[in-house]
Amino acid sequence: MAPSANVEGELAPAQDIESSEKPLENGAKEQVVPATSEDITAPKGKAKTANGAQQKGKPSEGSKDGKPSGKELKEKAKAEKAARRAQQKGRQPGQQGQPIVDLGPEKQKNADTRRPSVAGPAPTTKIQHKRTGSASGGAQKPIQFRPVQAHAAPISEEPPKENKNVALFDHLYGNPRRNTVAGASKDVHPAVLALGLQMRNYMICGSSARCVATMLAFKRVIEAYITPPQNSLPRHLTTHLSSQIDYIVSCRPLSISMGNAIRWLKVKISEVDVTTEESEAKADLCNAIDSFITEKITVADQVIARRGIEKIRDGDVILTYAKSSIVQQTLVEAFRQGRKFKVIVVDSRPLFEGKNLARALTDLGLEAQYSLTHGISHVIKDATKVFLGAHAMMSNGRLYSRVGTALVAMTAKEADVPVIVCCESIKYTEKVALDSFVHNEVAPPEELITQGETSSPLSKWLDVPNLQLLNLMYDLTPAEYISMVIDESGYLPPSSVPFMQRLSLNT
Amino acid sequence: MAVSSNNSMPTPTPEEPSITSHSNGSPPFDIVKTYNELCRTDPLLTHPIAAIEALISLLAASPVDTISETLSLLSTATTALKSSVSNPIALSAGTDLFQRYIISTLQQRSSQDAKGRSRRNLAGGTEDFRAVLAHLLANSRLFVQRANEARGKIASVARKFVRDGSTVLTCGRSRVVAAVLEATADENVRFQVIYAEDPLPSSPNSTNIVNNLRRKDVPVAVIPFAAMATVLSRADFILAGAESVVENGGVISSMGTYQMGLLAKSKGRPFYVVAESHKFVRVFPLDGGDLPIKGMGIEFSTENEEGKGMHEEGRRKERDLCVEFTPPELITAIVTENGVQTPSAVSEELIKIWY
Amino acid sequence: MPGSTGILAPGLTTFKRSVRSKGVSVESSIDNLISLLKRRQIRDSRPCAIATAHLLRRVVETFKITDISRLIDRVQQIGQRLISAQPRELTTGNIVRRVLGVIREEVEEDREGEISGYSDAGTDSRPQTPREQDSRAPDYSALFPRSLTSSLLRHGEMDSKLEEIGDGRPQRPPLLTSQTSYAVTNTAPTVTSMFSLLSHPRSNVPSPTATPGSQSPGIHLSLTSQALANAGAVKDLKAEVVEGIQEILEELNQADDQIAGYALEHIHSNEVILTHTSSVTVQKFLLKAAARRKFTVVHAEAYPNNHEATHASVIGKAKGEPDDDLGSEVFQKTLTAAGVTVVLVPDSAVFALMSRVNKVILDTHAVLVNGDIVAAAGAKAIAKAAKLHCTPVVVLSGVYKLSPVYPFDPDALMENGDPSKVISYEDGDFVDKVEIENPLFDYVPVELVSLYITNLGGHAPSYLHCIIDDHYCAEDVDLDKSNAYR
Repeated sequence: MAPSANVEGELAPAQDIESSEKPLENGAKEQVVPATSEDITAPKGKAKTANGAQQKGKPSEGSKDGKPSGKELKEKAKAEKAARRAQQKGRQPGQQGQPIVDLGPEKQKNADTRRPSVAGPAPTTKIQHKRTGSASGGAQKPIQFRPVQAHAAPISEEPPKENKNVALFDHLYGNPRRNTVAGASKDVHPAVLALGLQMRNYMICGSSARCVATMLAFKRVIEAYITPPQNSLPRHLTTHLSSQIDYIVSCRPLSISMGNAIRWLKVKISEVDVTTEESEAKADLCNAIDSFITEKITVADQVIARRGIEKIRDGDVILTYAKSSIVQQTLVEAFRQGRKFKVIVVDSRPLFEGKNLARALTDLGLEAQYSLTHGISHVIKDATKVFLGAHAMMSNGRLYSRVGTALVAMTAKEADVPVIVCCESIKYTEKVALDSFVHNEVAPPEELITQGETSSPLSKWLDVPNLQLLNLMYDLTPAEYISMVIDESGYLPPSSVPFMQRLSLNT
Repeated sequence: MAVSSNNSMPTPTPEEPSITSHSNGSPPFDIVKTYNELCRTDPLLTHPIAAIEALISLLAASPVDTISETLSLLSTATTALKSSVSNPIALSAGTDLFQRYIISTLQQRSSQDAKGRSRRNLAGGTEDFRAVLAHLLANSRLFVQRANEARGKIASVARKFVRDGSTVLTCGRSRVVAAVLEATADENVRFQVIYAEDPLPSSPNSTNIVNNLRRKDVPVAVIPFAAMATVLSRADFILAGAESVVENGGVISSMGTYQMGLLAKSKGRPFYVVAESHKFVRVFPLDGGDLPIKGMGIEFSTENEEGKGMHEEGRRKERDLCVEFTPPELITAIVTENGVQTPSAVSEELIKIWY
Repeated sequence: MPGSTGILAPGLTTFKRSVRSKGVSVESSIDNLISLLKRRQIRDSRPCAIATAHLLRRVVETFKITDISRLIDRVQQIGQRLISAQPRELTTGNIVRRVLGVIREEVEEDREGEISGYSDAGTDSRPQTPREQDSRAPDYSALFPRSLTSSLLRHGEMDSKLEEIGDGRPQRPPLLTSQTSYAVTNTAPTVTSMFSLLSHPRSNVPSPTATPGSQSPGIHLSLTSQALANAGAVKDLKAEVVEGIQEILEELNQADDQIAGYALEHIHSNEVILTHTSSVTVQKFLLKAAARRKFTVVHAEAYPNNHEATHASVIGKAKGEPDDDLGSEVFQKTLTAAGVTVVLVPDSAVFALMSRVNKVILDTHAVLVNGDIVAAAGAKAIAKAAKLHCTPVVVLSGVYKLSPVYPFDPDALMENGDPSKVISYEDGDFVDKVEIENPLFDYVPVELVSLYITNLGGHAPSYLHCIIDDHYCAEDVDLDKSNAYR
């Protein structure tokens, strides 16, 4: 990809988000928030049936027989949810969303099916930061993004509800991910509402993409922001942002990069001089966000890609795992520059992100091999270098990335193949981690139910006592397996990550 | 930076004429010759320092007026120097450091000035530049002296590893290793040294360390390099020198160091590398094959083909010049004049001067 | 794992039916099995072993013996054909070698009986069916699990001692010595092989009719013309060989249960066990432990080649091996029903979870003489991750999977599966452009394995070769070699 195209690739997701938000936003501007949520929900009756059906663990059935019991369950579910929500979001003003909480799943479905049509073919285009479950053809099968039944699953039919959480990860489950904009605080900006769902459905996926999308959404929040009387912008805008963030977290936990960016933004806001004219202050903040994105991600990616290419020699066989936008950019760039190399993409269930990468690379004419985690011991024999993306780099030099990365890095280390991690410094965190248990993200287990096959035996997993499904998002790769980290400042050993992290904070 | 040097490697010295053209009138200044002369006359001079010296001499001999002119002069001279040697990494540590020093000093000054006086013109910048230049030219010998002092400082740190009754295993011709051991001997520490001898000692220096230590009443056992594994269990630790220290904390040094590191690791013996910090170089190799140096060539031949290529003697000579990369995970610690550092600290030191 | 699921599809069941029917000639049965193996309609260790044993039983039964060495030749030839039909199914060769071992043993027994001046009373008195063998030595079979007998009588030191005591037959002592010598060989093989240098002239006196294989300075004395000349004993020999094969078949049947019998020695309360693929052996093992202990199983699903079976096995719809009506009866009880918490995870999560796993229990496709194993793809990464976390890796394997073959070329044992399991053909354009890798097996080096549990018990990796030596004759290890000399 040429440098110009690069920039496009970086910014494209953001543009998509904006365009996809349009209808929502229009609705929101004219009406109050509850109406907005209704705007993207389906008729109520339909939702009920879906809800009932799901509680029976048979999401495929859309019949209406579940109505009476569905209603009861609905009540129960509502109460449960309300309690939970009250607990977690006690400070959120007003819970107008509550009465329609139980519409969740159907709304989700609606949002799901609708979003691609609004956003156009976005998920399938070559936009690098967009990762989708690539098992499907993309937009044609939107269900692949996130099974609709996902959310309702924990609400089991049995009165003595069995805890289906894997005990070791119990601390990570929290509330089920939000399926719907309903119940969101009325302060949440429509752009953020849409963004949350897109992240939830992996339509916007990947640490950098989520960070960019969040910052762009916040830019719009700031643009639309009006300081209430008796308040100052630096003080009130921060709390206003917090409610946006709470909403996003309820859709999917923040990525490290998002956390870093948000921390930066909050500092920026707090630094705003109270005497500054509000419009000027807002414009300054928006500009700051733009340059932040450019500096920390767009340009950083270009620099990293350039450095990465320097490590790709003719005849190399580059192995990569899943899909990283920056690795893709590096490979594509190297190919455009005429490097002669082959790529091996190793992929895993359930997201199959690597498939999109392999497809994009082969479409360009790159020679590519595709395998899954089970084949790693075989494909590593041909590889000469391993390029990995990162969700985050921990301060003890460990790499926090898509689950399975550690297996790949371990195998590479054993085979004496150097492992190179491409990582923007925005993904550095001062946190340290020793295992993949304390910090992690547990995705809805329903994603593991094999799609496509009409009757996967797993679809009945909720009925099998003692059976648990674990869908972990990340794992932690020990620093010893990593030969080199490439960030925008250069090549470093993983041990220098904390040092660079400190440096990048100071600048 | 590193890779640019890599790319320029294959093209042999087309820049040289351009350097000489700078100093028209006076006898053309030959950077390569100056460098080689410096290396020859002072055996204690390291490659990076010799390169810095050569560059200073170049600046002294060339009438330059502007910063950009100087920088371009320096870069062409650097390229010429690099392409003249088989291992350009060692001296690039010096040339890079020199270049960074000039740039950062100028930046510092201009930023200081910017704070003091709100506006500066270009002429002022040139003034600063002249001051920097003058400082460099005036203190040329000081750098050499400092570099040699660094060796002494390393010795004062590293000798703490050597305790009464300990046995040190070493090899090669490192001046720093010699300095450390000799300094330890001067402290009346009772220790012994096992010196693994290269089967083909080509440089007379190689035996100096043995003789010098023996002269200082240090018992030295000389063993063939091949006996290293057998002897290793008798040693308490291994001390090695390095030609360059790269960004990930690995070292580039004479053939045999990597083997020694592997053996030390497998036998659980500490492996200390002693090197001055001016040998730190901004190169990050993934492995030995990822270095801009001419590596050890492997030539396969059958009986018929033998002698077709280089004859044995020539091959030996070439191999003697060869250096190899030892990865950081084999190195217990790197001792510089700033103290004992883990290999990973190297990258941080380098980031500090480059970032 | 299971090949074809249809009842009428050619497979182990149909083969077993046809090999038993008198209407089908032996030759066509052989050809049938070869084509089944070639087309992978019979696959995996156990079905291949069972099919081979059935075929060889038929071969022996129908063999018109005039010269016992001809039977060895014939079995060797068939074995070579079967092995070359599917060299990756090592159990085929294992069973052939073990049948050869049975023949050699019986012949030797017989010969020694001759030499010592007795007609082989054991052979004479031994009834034709194996069932009655049990009745012949009831005390023995009651004392010892079937595994000991079925492992080819080679644990016969004890066996023959007992028999000696029980039957009080004087002709046993020679047999005892021969078997003891076997045991000596096993415990100190190096001594024997060093002696072979000295004993060279003696062992090099083969009879003209001896098999070429026996010319190697092996531990078995070659067949003598005396033994062969004894036509009367031949028929009984045949019956005994058939009986030996029958025992092998029973061993195949019972191996999983016998392995499961050791479960309580290896699984303690509250531990976290990680396993991979839907192995019946492993499931039985865990179930046995689950009857007494509470623990957690982390089950990696082995996508894409075995995930369906794995999912089915955790849900409780596993059908065992459909081709197999002999043992591994339909596998109904699930671990979850037994009170074990089962956590199903994608293969990629193995490393993340490994630090909390106490033990990794793996099934294997084959175990080679040096202890390296061929297991389902993904096993190597799992074993490596376990090694790095100092988590013990336990490999469950019936003795029939232990192969005496040294893996000179491990890659030859690997096999690629259907690429459409990785990317379905629906992604047509993509499939055309990308090279798809779907290995079925991983080659796991012995360093990554902590313990092997066979139907004979637990063995350290370093001891494994002794078990293998116990079960195969040195002459038979290299079936191809004898071919080359021919």
